[in-house]
Amino acid sequence: MNLGFTLSKIPIMFQASLMTIELTVVSLIAGTILAIIIAFMRISKRKIVNGIAKFYLWIFRGTPLILQLFVLYYALPSWGITLTPFVAAVIGLSLNSAAYTAEIVRGGIISISKGQYEAANVLGMSDVQTMFLIVLPQTLRNILPAMGNQFIGMLKDTSLVSTIAMVELMREAQLIGSATFKYTEVYITAALIYLLMTSIFSFIFNKLETKLSVY
Amino acid sequence: MAMMEINKLGKVFNSHKVLDDIDLNVEKGDVIAIIGPSGAGKSTFLRCLIDLERRDSGSVNIDGIELNPDDKKCVEKVQAKMGMVFQSFNLFPHMTVLKNVMIAPVRVKKAEKKEVEKKARELLKKVGLSDRVDYYPSQLSGGQQQRVAIARALAMNPELMLFDEPTSALDPELVGEVLKVMKDLADDGMTMVVVTHEMGFAREVANKVIFMEKGKIIESGTPKEIFFAPKTERTREFLKKVI
Repeated sequence: MNLGFTLSKIPIMFQASLMTIELTVVSLIAGTILAIIIAFMRISKRKIVNGIAKFYLWIFRGTPLILQLFVLYYALPSWGITLTPFVAAVIGLSLNSAAYTAEIVRGGIISISKGQYEAANVLGMSDVQTMFLIVLPQTLRNILPAMGNQFIGMLKDTSLVSTIAMVELMREAQLIGSATFKYTEVYITAALIYLLMTSIFSFIFNKLETKLSVY
Repeated sequence: MAMMEINKLGKVFNSHKVLDDIDLNVEKGDVIAIIGPSGAGKSTFLRCLIDLERRDSGSVNIDGIELNPDDKKCVEKVQAKMGMVFQSFNLFPHMTVLKNVMIAPVRVKKAEKKEVEKKARELLKKVGLSDRVDYYPSQLSGGQQQRVAIARALAMNPELMLFDEPTSALDPELVGEVLKVMKDLADDGMTMVVVTHEMGFAREVANKVIFMEKGKIIESGTPKEIFFAPKTERTREFLKKVI
């Protein structure tokens, strides 16, 4: 272990981890919005709508994320669609995480008792009001622990985009490693930075959970 | 004219007649207690009146408006005239007591928040919960939760209150506080239809008692008639068991 070398590489690795965070946050937001839409489609009684959502889950949960990224980045250009590594990475991560998150959201929505809908109904609330004022706020609290897992998983999954020429923490570690042969130093450093980031994520989620568990 | 007219109301579940041609008139100020064994269709009947269950035949008319389940606007209009209290309270667990009472007037009626809050606090005072306004439902006893539910329904200024076994989920020692609030409400002149197993309440507060079994009204009359001089053998048998 060469401590001086390790310390000298920390700034550039932190720089790369900013990209990891950026990817995570952007994909998280896009993925969650998509997940809510898919969850509603899955709950829908219309067979076609439900079927489309099921097909989506089947594809994106049934194939590896790395394969999805390869299709987006390496295969699409032959169809005339060329994406930058960042765009391909965000699309891949969002589409993939949406499939998992959608099932979490769906589980949360169907766990809300019928009595809540009935109470809202007799008070005159519209379906949209019932959803946004009554159902989703309760759902959010119920699914928070599972979402925490999902988000941490996403943060680690961003390391896979190193395979499509995206320079984030994992890729930076590989680059420095292969240029200097100091693999031990760079990978341990990368691991510590990942741990730091996932710890911060966990901390934020725990705080949110405490905040929402007032009732 | 009666405030609510129910004619030949019918409901079928899997070719089983849950409600069989029910006729009932509710006059303004009436307190009607519906009693009967479980499975008699009492709750289903009540739920048909506010369109939580869809009737299969007959008609429901409130204040001259005929309830048409296919017409959303009409259903809304009819529901706005009624308040409903459930056996399992169904308070919104993520809102404080005050917010539970305020949410519908603010969001549905778009009433002024200050006014709504003032009225909500008054209602909560009336049900004896002034000191619990900032609590969450889970921090309250069942009796307190049910009283909040009553206040929440009253906040929408209903002309008629429906109670679906409001005390059945409560510990015995908490039943009294809810019945007291309901009695006060009746004394204030509120029109009420109450499905209940509380024979004391039916006898003392109601002005009309209905005995239902197997989807039919077997007997109806004043509490005196039903409790002291039941006409049918079936009513007599039922009352002997529950009192």
